[in-house]
Amino acid sequence: MRARWLREVDWVLVGTTVLLAAFGIVALVSARHGSADVAHFLRVRALHLSLGALAMVVLAATDYRRIAGPWQVIYAGTILLLGLVFVIGDTRMGAQRWITLGAFGGFQPSEIAKLCLVITLARHLEGARALPRLRSLFPYGLHIALPALLIIRQPDLGTALVLLAVLAAVLYVAGARAGDLAGVTAAGAVAAPFLWKLLHDYQRRRLAAFLDPGADPLGAGYALIQSKIAIGSGQLFGKGLFAGTQSVLRFIPEQHTDFVFTVVGEELGLAGGVLLLGLYLAWLWRALRIAGTARDRLGALVATGIATVVAFHVVVNVGMTVGLMPVTGIPLPLLSHGGTAILTTFAGTGILLSIHLRRRPGG
Amino acid sequence: MSINTPPWSPRVARLGLVVLAMFALIAARLWTMQAIDGASYLEMSEQNRMRDFRIPAPRGVIYDRSGRALVTNRPSFAVSVLPMEVHDPARLVASLAPILGIEREEMASRLEAGRARPFEPVTLRRDVPKTIVMTVEERRLDLPGVVVQAEPVREYLMGSLGAHALGHLGEITEEELRARPLHRPGDLIGKTGVERAYDAYLRGEGGRLRVEVDAAGRPVRLISRRPARAGQSLVLNLDARLQEIAEQGLSGRSGAVVVMDPRSGEVLALASAPTFAPGLFSGGISPASWRRLTTDRGLPLLNRAVEATYEPGSVFKVVTGLAALGEGMARRESRYECTGSLQLGRWLFRDLAAHGSLNFIRGTAVSCNVMFWSLGRMLGVEQLERYARGLGLGAITGIDLPGEAAGLVPSAAWKQRAWGEPWYPGDTLNMSIGQGFVLTTPVQVARMIGAVATGGRLVSPRLGRRVLAPGGAEVTAFAPEVKDALLPLAPGALHALREGMRAVVEGGTGVAAAVPGLAIAGKTGSAENPRGVPHAWFAGYAPAEAPALVVVVFVEHGRRGGEVAAPIARALFEAARPLLSPQPAGLVRP
Repeated sequence: MRARWLREVDWVLVGTTVLLAAFGIVALVSARHGSADVAHFLRVRALHLSLGALAMVVLAATDYRRIAGPWQVIYAGTILLLGLVFVIGDTRMGAQRWITLGAFGGFQPSEIAKLCLVITLARHLEGARALPRLRSLFPYGLHIALPALLIIRQPDLGTALVLLAVLAAVLYVAGARAGDLAGVTAAGAVAAPFLWKLLHDYQRRRLAAFLDPGADPLGAGYALIQSKIAIGSGQLFGKGLFAGTQSVLRFIPEQHTDFVFTVVGEELGLAGGVLLLGLYLAWLWRALRIAGTARDRLGALVATGIATVVAFHVVVNVGMTVGLMPVTGIPLPLLSHGGTAILTTFAGTGILLSIHLRRRPGG
Repeated sequence: MSINTPPWSPRVARLGLVVLAMFALIAARLWTMQAIDGASYLEMSEQNRMRDFRIPAPRGVIYDRSGRALVTNRPSFAVSVLPMEVHDPARLVASLAPILGIEREEMASRLEAGRARPFEPVTLRRDVPKTIVMTVEERRLDLPGVVVQAEPVREYLMGSLGAHALGHLGEITEEELRARPLHRPGDLIGKTGVERAYDAYLRGEGGRLRVEVDAAGRPVRLISRRPARAGQSLVLNLDARLQEIAEQGLSGRSGAVVVMDPRSGEVLALASAPTFAPGLFSGGISPASWRRLTTDRGLPLLNRAVEATYEPGSVFKVVTGLAALGEGMARRESRYECTGSLQLGRWLFRDLAAHGSLNFIRGTAVSCNVMFWSLGRMLGVEQLERYARGLGLGAITGIDLPGEAAGLVPSAAWKQRAWGEPWYPGDTLNMSIGQGFVLTTPVQVARMIGAVATGGRLVSPRLGRRVLAPGGAEVTAFAPEVKDALLPLAPGALHALREGMRAVVEGGTGVAAAVPGLAIAGKTGSAENPRGVPHAWFAGYAPAEAPALVVVVFVEHGRRGGEVAAPIARALFEAARPLLSPQPAGLVRP
């Protein structure tokens, strides 16, 4: 019995998760190389990874249908938590995203919210057998719009965009018509100028810098230019681990968090970057495979949502460092330093494993 | 298979294709950036180097009480090396050490130590002459990682005047660095004197210059600039003229002088000899100069006024006399027969002279050992200890200088502890004339004399007077710290003692201190010590009717207090005469 359980676990998913975490440790050491606080960062990372692994095991062993059971409670709790940030949240680097938790430092409710909303949205959609009309998408749009607005006000534009991507992907897998989704996206594009007004100054500057990074090389465009120089100068095989000059000179701000991919690109080159993308792709392949073979709609939608979160993060984060996407402050899963994000990714992996273990026979 | 395939499977697969397409897009972008344009990005990364240069803050100016600048700053150049830019340390040492005129081993070890912090410039030589700066600039391309920076260094306008009170600077040590996280290696901080005591006010805050440099390390473009904040200025209570006279008096000798206003504790002069030139430390002291200063047997770096303790000799008779008067064992008319010696059991204590029959006043004036021995024998060690402590001996005075010594007031219990021997009656006799175990610092003696002059109050001597912001606005003014009398002193007792001390200067051992028309009270001392010729002391105050100035002169191995120390005190009293106003020495404000 026990042996069968072990055989049924998706070891490829577990393996890629572990490899990504290991990649993250190397990148962290390299990003903080030469400063006195490496040991401190490693201790913190070890704590994050062990908590994450624990969460993964517990959630894998728990039936995902039981987790998704009280979805209204989860939803209410998530909204409450997001609202709480404005009341007792800490402001770090200009954004009110944190809640302090004594010895653990603090956590970002918006990170947890992504996973919780994937679950509640999937549960909400579970019963909807068909989505024949544009109008039928409305309740689900509302489901995501409320928390997304709260997150935009933090302000955390990136995470809000993640939620919209999740909404689109999950609706699509749930059976929404592609034409309807395209129509909503077009409407969103029309509404964008109004959203622009909702943005904070620094967000507007970042978007403007994305459109023309050379215009203000020492302001918002600075990080982008430095990031591209770091990655480009890595060439095919990189400058060697710990030998990146851009990182050593600390040209790149927040290099162990949002810009951690620059370390990989500069020190390990194209080979290292493609290897890392390959690991993410393998992880996503397994996640989507789990979605495709899930026993029920709930499992399929939850797996789709989790896969979308990770895919969006990787594409937007790496896209940002190579100048394909605006600088939005979205972490690279399992590589960027940040306890809540790492914990959430592990938890998502645990839920995927749980769905996989309970997949439909023969799938 | 097809039966089991759930309805949503094709849609999930299509979603997978979207993800794949996005990843392919990113991979393609990486390919263009790294494989195709990589070489040009590499070139950019090599040229695009940013460096942070520190802008050292000028330290605050130090003024004397009348606003005369004693210590200012002048511009200088320092030659440093950025360890991360040095790929061949041995070659750099070989080419740079001869230019700078420093030893190769020293430079190599400093570079090695700097490797731990590759971004922090290691300063090799400060206050470099212009010719060296030009040589370095000319050979810049052969000297990768070498930077020349302008920095202000201390300038001592009065040479070595007040060296011990002002103190000197020095490079921060690793240990000090741990205690002060705001500092960086290579920082110069106050190491002694007021430079150390008031370092927090004087040091200011360094600025930062972020510069883009080319491959050769030449600045190309200024990125950002945070200007340095100059340190706050310090106005001392010191009077440069009195300080000069004190140091002239001590020249050629070892010793110390303290001149203090007993009402407020304001220190008008604080000298120690032999002295040193604090300017030697301005640009970081050279190892040769440091060796010379630290191996000099005259100990020029030692502040003898504060950090060293000496036998007080007959100056301690102030304690013995006050105790006897205070405890009712003596009055001004009490008579004593001095035969030139005192028999104590089997031992005979010999004085230098037989003074014959005299009263307390005369006994004090001629410093009659026989009289003070018999007073000490009556009092006993406990009373002597009590009065000595009551006058502030055996404890630091709290002067605003680092490294103050506490001195020693012995007791029977102390002797048992330290020597493993009981207290003998002979020890009491020795103590009553300031010999034996008693140890004092000159600044303690000044405070003790001040307490006698003002009625028993103990002040904390202070060099710092006011702190001024760089614009000249007052930031802080230091109020005098005065402790009320520790002893219940009968006015009559103090009166008789003061009268005895006046007799010292008017017709006793201290006549050499007398200034016509100024009533001076004092006490001389010739303290026998195990290291050679007795130490010479003079400790006194003036004007006797309204004390405004305490002068303590100590000359190491000066033999006779009345002959060597008293004349130095006289010069000081004479010079200070115009200052002896009835108000606490308010004087001219800067």
